[in-house]
Amino acid sequence: MYKMLVIGLSAGGMPLVKQLLTHLPNDYSLPIAIVVHLPKDHQSNFDKVLDCVTNLPVSIVHDKEPIVEGHVYIAPPSYHLLIEQNHHFSLSEDKPVKSVRPSIDVLFSSAAEVFENDLIAVILSGANSDGADGMALVKKLGGLCIVLNPAETEFNTMPNAVIKAVNVDYVVSIEEIISLLVCVDEKE
Amino acid sequence: MTTLIKWKNHHIQDVEVNLLLHALNERYGYDFTGYARASLKRRLLDLMSYFELEHLTQLIPIMLYDEAVAQTVINSVSVPTSEFFRDPFVWAYLRENVIPLLASFPRINIWQAGCGFGQEAYSLSILLHEAGLAGRSHIFCTDINPEFLHEAKKGCWAIRNLNPWQNYYEKSGGTGEFADFFIEQKNSIAIRANYKQNVEFVQHNLVNDDVFKEVQFVMCRNVLLYFGEELQNHVVSLFTRSLERGGYLLLGSGENILDLKEHHPRLELLDYSLQIYRKTMGITSHV
Repeated sequence: MYKMLVIGLSAGGMPLVKQLLTHLPNDYSLPIAIVVHLPKDHQSNFDKVLDCVTNLPVSIVHDKEPIVEGHVYIAPPSYHLLIEQNHHFSLSEDKPVKSVRPSIDVLFSSAAEVFENDLIAVILSGANSDGADGMALVKKLGGLCIVLNPAETEFNTMPNAVIKAVNVDYVVSIEEIISLLVCVDEKE
Repeated sequence: MTTLIKWKNHHIQDVEVNLLLHALNERYGYDFTGYARASLKRRLLDLMSYFELEHLTQLIPIMLYDEAVAQTVINSVSVPTSEFFRDPFVWAYLRENVIPLLASFPRINIWQAGCGFGQEAYSLSILLHEAGLAGRSHIFCTDINPEFLHEAKKGCWAIRNLNPWQNYYEKSGGTGEFADFFIEQKNSIAIRANYKQNVEFVQHNLVNDDVFKEVQFVMCRNVLLYFGEELQNHVVSLFTRSLERGGYLLLGSGENILDLKEHHPRLELLDYSLQIYRKTMGITSHV
């Protein structure tokens, strides 16, 4: 039974993540943490943009916030987002990783250590290789690794980098990602 | 005899982190054991590649016998990140709402905890000068790291910062000429002496040291991020004790005090997105 879903995206990922959230059921129970790279000014209303497409509660993470089921969390601009062993979020201003902060690698790695095989990690679209190292740890610790088919996005550096570095479980279309995520959350 | 159980590497690394922190504390008196673990572990594991080690625990003997290595470890654990008038909306709020109320106190003492290289301390000093309060205010800036304090006292930064900081200053409602606060040197800008007059830098460790002054305003931005929940509670209590009734506490905008009512009944949250609190005016009791 999965307990946490983490999603990383950069260039070209915005419409994809909107589509994804739109199609999740209102009683979706997995908590979702999202790292997105965007220019600082654009990022400030990212939570409102996502809030419009889903009935799940959406918010920007504050430090030490406990993770709640069925909630969509977004990494604040300029902070790394991490997960602590007590299932609370934490933020840090440590130096950028692969020139970015927040870093997908940082979130995925810390989530992998806490949730191990109860974790699902999804990489959508982007123009750099952030996420590849994080996904490698997710895989190593038994989590489910899903990557968008690079043919489905013009910004395919990120999904390609992840596929090259990690023997992921699924390389599929956004529609198939949605079905997978809905499937794993279906109640007995 | 029981069989020993195999552990995953990341669990073993948690043991290594504990051992290293224990050694650092016992040998040098720097206690990082209460720090938030996820980011602390990342920073410490980064040292492995820096020192070209296979395991973090290999750093322990080197660090125990070599003070310079220990200083590198300490510096890597407490990384200061700051800018002048960073998060301009916060400074606009201070300018409009906090400074005018601070003006009602006969003497204004401010404690800026975790001052790093001093950018926020001098931003405050500029704000107090602009409000005409510099003459009766004093800013105590503390940090755990003497190397940072030394830099902060100098008050010099790379000149490439001037434009972005000027932009923040203007967005915060500043109407002066930002460059006038500095003396321009070759590749750097140095804060002018009159903005240094009421600023004092003191070494203070939030983990072990007590309150040292009654203050009307505590500013501690993006420091509690690095602390675990227990340590954060301890430090917020320290700030509360230090504050005069009606005084203000400002944290970093991404920060958050958990279970405020239960743990810190003397503090009232004024604005969640700004993370500004006020010590209640109620009867004095022991916090």
